Amino acid sequence: MVGVALPSAAARPPASATAPLRHVDWGLLALPVGISALGLLMVYSSTRTRLAGQGLSELYYVQRQGAAVVIGIAAMLAVMLVDYRRLRDMFPLLYVAVLPMLVGVLALGATRKGTQAWFQIGPLQFQPSELAKVVLVVALAGYCHSHRGDLDVWRFAIAIGLAGLPIVLVLRQPDLGTAIVLMICVGTVLVVAGARGRHLAVMVLLAVTLVGGAVSSDVFADYQIDRLTSFLDQSTVDTRTASDAEYNLAQSKTAIGAGGLTGAGLFEGTQTKLSYVPEQHTDFIFTVVGEELGFLGGSLLLALFAALVWRIWRIALLAADLFGTLLCVGMLAMFTFQVFENVGMTMGIMPITGIPLPFMSYGGSATIASFIAVGLVSNVHMRRFS
Amino acid sequence: MTDTSRIRVSIVGVVVVALFSTLVGRLWFLQVGSGTVYVEAARENSVRVVQTETPRGRILDRNGEVLVENRIAWAVTVSRDLDEESLDGVIGSLSELLAIDVDILRERYDDPRGSRLAPAVLAVEAEVPDRARVVLQEQGESYPGVSVVPLNLRHYPHSTLAAHVLGYVGEINEDEMAEHKGDDYVLGDTIGRAGVEAAYEADLRGVPQSVTVEVDPAGNVVGDPLEKAPGEPGHDVVLTIDEQVQRVAEESLVSAILQAREVQNTDYEAGFATFAAPAGAVVVIDVDTGGVVAMASFPTYDPAEFIGGISEARYQELTEDESLFQPLLNRVTQGTYAPGSTFKLVTALTAMEYGYRGPDDWFNDTGSITVEETTYNNAGGRAYGSVDLRRALTVSSDAYFFELGRQFWRTWRFEDEARGLAMQTVAGQLGFGAPSGFELVEAEGRIPDPEWKHDFARVLYDDPQKISENEIWYPGDQINMSVGQGDVLVTPLQLANAYAALANGGVLREPRLSVEVRDSDGDTVRRTRSKRIRRVAMDPYRRQAIIDGMVGAVADPSGTAYGAFAGFPLGLIPIAGKTGTAQIGTSDDTKGDTSLFAAVFPANAPKYVAVAVVQEAGFGSRVAAPIVRRVIEALYDLPISPVVVPHGEASD
Repeated sequence: MVGVALPSAAARPPASATAPLRHVDWGLLALPVGISALGLLMVYSSTRTRLAGQGLSELYYVQRQGAAVVIGIAAMLAVMLVDYRRLRDMFPLLYVAVLPMLVGVLALGATRKGTQAWFQIGPLQFQPSELAKVVLVVALAGYCHSHRGDLDVWRFAIAIGLAGLPIVLVLRQPDLGTAIVLMICVGTVLVVAGARGRHLAVMVLLAVTLVGGAVSSDVFADYQIDRLTSFLDQSTVDTRTASDAEYNLAQSKTAIGAGGLTGAGLFEGTQTKLSYVPEQHTDFIFTVVGEELGFLGGSLLLALFAALVWRIWRIALLAADLFGTLLCVGMLAMFTFQVFENVGMTMGIMPITGIPLPFMSYGGSATIASFIAVGLVSNVHMRRFS
Repeated sequence: MTDTSRIRVSIVGVVVVALFSTLVGRLWFLQVGSGTVYVEAARENSVRVVQTETPRGRILDRNGEVLVENRIAWAVTVSRDLDEESLDGVIGSLSELLAIDVDILRERYDDPRGSRLAPAVLAVEAEVPDRARVVLQEQGESYPGVSVVPLNLRHYPHSTLAAHVLGYVGEINEDEMAEHKGDDYVLGDTIGRAGVEAAYEADLRGVPQSVTVEVDPAGNVVGDPLEKAPGEPGHDVVLTIDEQVQRVAEESLVSAILQAREVQNTDYEAGFATFAAPAGAVVVIDVDTGGVVAMASFPTYDPAEFIGGISEARYQELTEDESLFQPLLNRVTQGTYAPGSTFKLVTALTAMEYGYRGPDDWFNDTGSITVEETTYNNAGGRAYGSVDLRRALTVSSDAYFFELGRQFWRTWRFEDEARGLAMQTVAGQLGFGAPSGFELVEAEGRIPDPEWKHDFARVLYDDPQKISENEIWYPGDQINMSVGQGDVLVTPLQLANAYAALANGGVLREPRLSVEVRDSDGDTVRRTRSKRIRRVAMDPYRRQAIIDGMVGAVADPSGTAYGAFAGFPLGLIPIAGKTGTAQIGTSDDTKGDTSLFAAVFPANAPKYVAVAVVQEAGFGSRVAAPIVRRVIEALYDLPISPVVVPHGEASD
């Protein structure tokens, strides 16, 4: 944490040396691509038997996810081309653009598992809340930067208001998981931007009230609440009487636990092959890693995520301006929390909420949005001298 | 960047490190720290073992005669893999072919006792006529998922013969599953429920064939079997029973009982009544090996009723309908009776071995003795005059033994407690009051003593007054016990086994029902030898005095069983016998006496003991002795004489 050398402003190198392309952090770019490759393998492993049993192509999910990864990489590279500071000034535009999507999905969106979060366009789905994560971080970073981090009570209130609107819309879907991710990102950006302690305390209270209110209102169906609370008591799970959520969690832990140190081997996990874990190619993708690749594979994947987060953290410190730092910090919070929540829920230490594991879970919108996020961070790194 | 921001970014970094550490720690705990818990859970999830029973072993008599075997019955089964539509179709066409209602077939398919993995059995045996079998085998394609398979069912070539010895089988239930945890039973499996079928379950059952498969969460089999084990057929059990002797024992018991029911009970003074004679038992033991040669219990049942499951209503009838007198009960081992004079064996041994009275000491039998204002009479009030032990046993002088009972009590009360209770000690050594170690379920019986009486009064009564009256060990308790009355209870098997110890010179053995266990090739797997329990102190001269007295009971014209053995070649096969006639209940005589007879033969070189007991049938000499006579005739291939239960007065 302390060993990072920061370039001093006095020793600014010549212009040619500051050309963005000479400062690409290749490690940062390689990590999501590598994780995505592993993700494709895991999606394949968890879906091939079931697809074959239904007489479909074993590659159905892999092809669709592969396309999302390719689009995501392209989007990441595209985002790197334009100086991120141009976003700094146009954040209200982005913010205003994403709101109608969140409103629109409540009216027109397709519903899956009780949550109305998707636009169905022909064979493709688009989940605006995934994009909203990135946009909200950009917008909040932009807003804080425009006030040089000097957040008095009014500015802080406005920032909270900016963040609160999309969060409430996402909660209405209802998608508690994504709403909490948004809150964590907002909170982290505001902390680093220099918000005052008592303001932050009020913000935490507000967030708790909002989540508590949503959970105790009738926005959520009983089974959705069940998913949240099932991890609290895991002592006795009788598969005959367990609720879906308890069953899901028990099967998830069983699959991971059965992997042992070295795992059952790729395509050899019986719980995976026989589809014992519901939602395995999406939210519970980590159980495939756990069962087939064992502790070695699982901890390697966590190490890759940790490396990705470390690169982002490092760039946050290297960034040329507060906007860059906040952008990085927001993305860092987004990835860290999603990994912790997703992997944590499969192992029974976090409540079950529908959050994908970045770059691993099947799902186009999330994958593309995650690549865009990395592209933005890379952008900050490339232009830290210019 | 401000210092505040820099510090806060660092804090974020610390939080990130903590979160990732938590994940790795939890991952380690689940995958490495939890050992094999989850590996086993995963296996339990997805691996199923489908078992098929192998043919159950047979049960043979000592000469290899088959008592229980298997027979093939054809069954129609339908696979569990059909979808609803084809299943409806198949059930419809099977209903037509077999002429069984669609609803009944559907019910059998849905029977929750059936495994979800094994095919469902829809029709068995008579429901599957040969014609239908041919149709199903030749036009299989019109009946998708349907198979005709052979089932192994129990078959009893000798019908109800030795039903209580053999026992019966049934489909295992949840309780039995729990009891046999670890033995790999599955619901629907056959299990022995009584008799040898239950006692030798582990041998008879064999090792089921098993196929290990993987299943998906819906229970469908996925892919090829992981493992196949062919199993092993059950082992045969060879019994000590002799089918021919068993048959004679059963037939004699039945005919003696039926005749006793025609005879007037003259003890019943309120009017005319015949003996009820509801039940009885016969047992024959080889005195050197402890092997049970015959074991009959009446009333009996048909083990074939249990094939393929007995209805709950019928089972309830067999166990609870009082007019049937509990046919499932094996009275040889589970019936307990007052032994009457047959128990004088214990009194005589005690008197001699503990120095109360020698075999040659004379006693003046005046027909009764009076102790503390209570008079104890000989049966019929007869006085036998001067008797020694031999004579007392031959004519069954109760007074001789009453007087011993009084001496025992006085010794207990005024001199030496242990010596005063010597009769209880001897009874215990002869195996009374405790299970004998036999293979089948046994009752314990009861040998009363002062301590038992003290406790039993508290079981019977709450009122302190009543308790204090009934907890005392009175002279009458010991006097009654000396003639096998009062609170003494024995099983016919215990009685026979005690006489066997007398017969072989004092060795008490565990009685045995089987000789050996054989595999399906006929090779011996295991011999089932009888264990010697203990040696009972028995001076040869004194032992011979008892046997001589018993020989007199059969051969002497004044002997109690002389009539029952009239015409029997006693010169060829001398018999030592003891009759017993035990009263049940003391206040009224509504129930007839228990008729008992115990025989040791040949008396000069004892080989067997036979005991017959008939409930509520009167004198032992009249009902029980003729049964034993016929059993002896069967053992020695003599012509079997007809059972004749005499009417009119008699003595015991």
